[in-house]
Amino acid sequence: MYQYDDYDRRIIIERAQQFRGQVARRLSGEITEEEFKPLRLQNGLYMQLHAYMLRVAIPYGLLSSKQVRKLAHIARTYDKGYAHLTTRQNIQYNWPRLANVPVILDELASVEMHAVQTSGNCVRNITSDHFAGIARDEIEDPRPYCEILRQWSTFHPEFAHLPRKFKIAVTAAPGEDRAAVRFHDIGLRMVENAQGERGFEVLVGGGLGRTPVIAEVVRDFLPKRHMLSYIESILRVYNLAGRRDNKHKARIKILVTALGVEEFRRRVEEDWEKSRTPALELPDAEVARVSAFFAPPPYENIAADPDRLISLGLGRDRDLGNWVKNNVFPHKVPGYSAVVISVKKPGIPPGDVSDTQLDAIADIADRFSFGHTVVTHTQNLVLPDVKTSELPRLHAELRALDLGEANVGKLTDVITCPGLDYCDLANARSIPLSLEIAERFDRIDYLNDVGDVSIKISGCINACGHHHVGNIGILGIDKRGEEFYQLMLGGSPGNDASIGKILGRALAQNEIVDAVEKVLGRYLEIRDSIDERFLDTVRRVGFDPFKEAVYGSADPLEAAGGD
Amino acid sequence: MPAANHWIVTGNFTDDGAVAWRRADGTWSRAIAEAGLLADEASAKAIAARAVAAEQREICDPYGIEVFAEGTTIDPLTARQRIRANGPTTPIRRPDSGISR
Ligand code: SF4
Repeated sequence: MYQYDDYDRRIIIERAQQFRGQVARRLSGEITEEEFKPLRLQNGLYMQLHAYMLRVAIPYGLLSSKQVRKLAHIARTYDKGYAHLTTRQNIQYNWPRLANVPVILDELASVEMHAVQTSGNCVRNITSDHFAGIARDEIEDPRPYCEILRQWSTFHPEFAHLPRKFKIAVTAAPGEDRAAVRFHDIGLRMVENAQGERGFEVLVGGGLGRTPVIAEVVRDFLPKRHMLSYIESILRVYNLAGRRDNKHKARIKILVTALGVEEFRRRVEEDWEKSRTPALELPDAEVARVSAFFAPPPYENIAADPDRLISLGLGRDRDLGNWVKNNVFPHKVPGYSAVVISVKKPGIPPGDVSDTQLDAIADIADRFSFGHTVVTHTQNLVLPDVKTSELPRLHAELRALDLGEANVGKLTDVITCPGLDYCDLANARSIPLSLEIAERFDRIDYLNDVGDVSIKISGCINACGHHHVGNIGILGIDKRGEEFYQLMLGGSPGNDASIGKILGRALAQNEIVDAVEKVLGRYLEIRDSIDERFLDTVRRVGFDPFKEAVYGSADPLEAAGGD
Repeated sequence: MPAANHWIVTGNFTDDGAVAWRRADGTWSRAIAEAGLLADEASAKAIAARAVAAEQREICDPYGIEVFAEGTTIDPLTARQRIRANGPTTPIRRPDSGISR
């Protein structure tokens, strides 16, 4: 993985030193909270309901075992013994004391980590496919491009005060979009043109939040060497024309919608023609230099044995079999597999991982996966490079750590934002719903029967839990100070992107999980075969059967009544 | 749900972000039960405005909220304020914080 050079190291250490001074002045009362707030936000430090929250950037989700150990140490020493995996491949600490934050930043800097670009109206942490570098279906490893974007965007002076936050995701797997690129401000999809050259399809203006929008294609094919200059032009058009008068209308998706994609494209292309200089072109040598950091690890030469996984999946040990079927994914190197460690165990808030688990994961990564771990936007962890023959041993170790749940991509693998248990912006709690879902449906046969279905929960319209793109989405709303929930169906973040729609009237907290159960029950009754996924059934039959199941009537007035 | 009958002033401690409740004597507590009761919104607003200026070192973003107070208990009236008063409703990995407070 990428190693900092002197410049990277210096800017991160200098930033931590500056923040130490700012914290000291805040603690002495020399500066007020109003003055301090923009400074702390630039360093990933939020004020939540009960405490500060520090969000740590994990570029494209990739962690070395040394970094994981450091995250464990910070959790143990300065927080309440756990870290929380976020829906943008980052982690956050929910309980740091202000005086300790500069020390935490020093600790992070010592392992080439920081908390910049995790807040504020800048280019945020770059995200990618959690199987980047190992996916069978990818054209090329996208991480060198993510890393180049990280270096370009960090402290970029022209784009430090954009109208709103700005999120970029990159994927190089045309077959399956695991990075939800269509729901980012800019999504880059690596593609090959008719001549066999590689470049990016550039999508702009996607996003969730108050106004969910699927990104539009602004350029079908951008040669790779122009990646930075073209993105600069997009950002320049946005920086000039994006609205700054209304926070809710300031994201680039609003600008693209307002101008229309044709006009937006025209402005970008015009700016690009004027502004691109050879200085912004990516030289092959630089791409090669960065790519060298992502060279494949020393894989062993193992003969391909596709039956091996099948026999593990069907073997006598049903725990192992289910885990292999649900949590193990194909790897491009014969004899290796990618393993998703589920951080969704009944009774534990989704994505919370303890200091001892983190330490153990670091050891496991060293022994089973060349020292690497990847955070997924679904709040799980990936061990990217596991020998298929070692899966039984790995599974036994993970199970002993309470990390052996066999539910990846299944009903209980819920994406859940922090919600009203932690988040200052929340309308309603998310985590208790997730825990209730985990408890109620914790039967592997049922999970396997229902098959691939995603539930995503957000505690407010900001949509950190990606509810719009859940096959089943749940959105917390506030009705006169009390928690209610809207149930949505039909969302998908991938290549078949769609935005879920509200099923009917909002439901109280004690009704919402029952409603999910009714929806699933109806799906099992009406799917046309066990191979028809939940999403396909919803798309085929529409909402009426589900409205009828939840509200007792498909009558739109009745289902929508009272809201 | 009982109707509101008082106001109190709340914010977060600068040191650790914990929820703070303003006592009647002008000091700040971590327990809602110790909050000083105020008769109306205007009093709460005036005290919060004063705290923004004079107590900003200790407290961030003070503001008033409505409560129902009876005997020694003070009940917030919204889910948000109930959770602020009582802490997260979901398990915390190490609730006894292990950090010096
Ligand atoms: S969706 Fe809303 S409640 Fe959930 S974390 Fe984001 S801002 Fe907070």
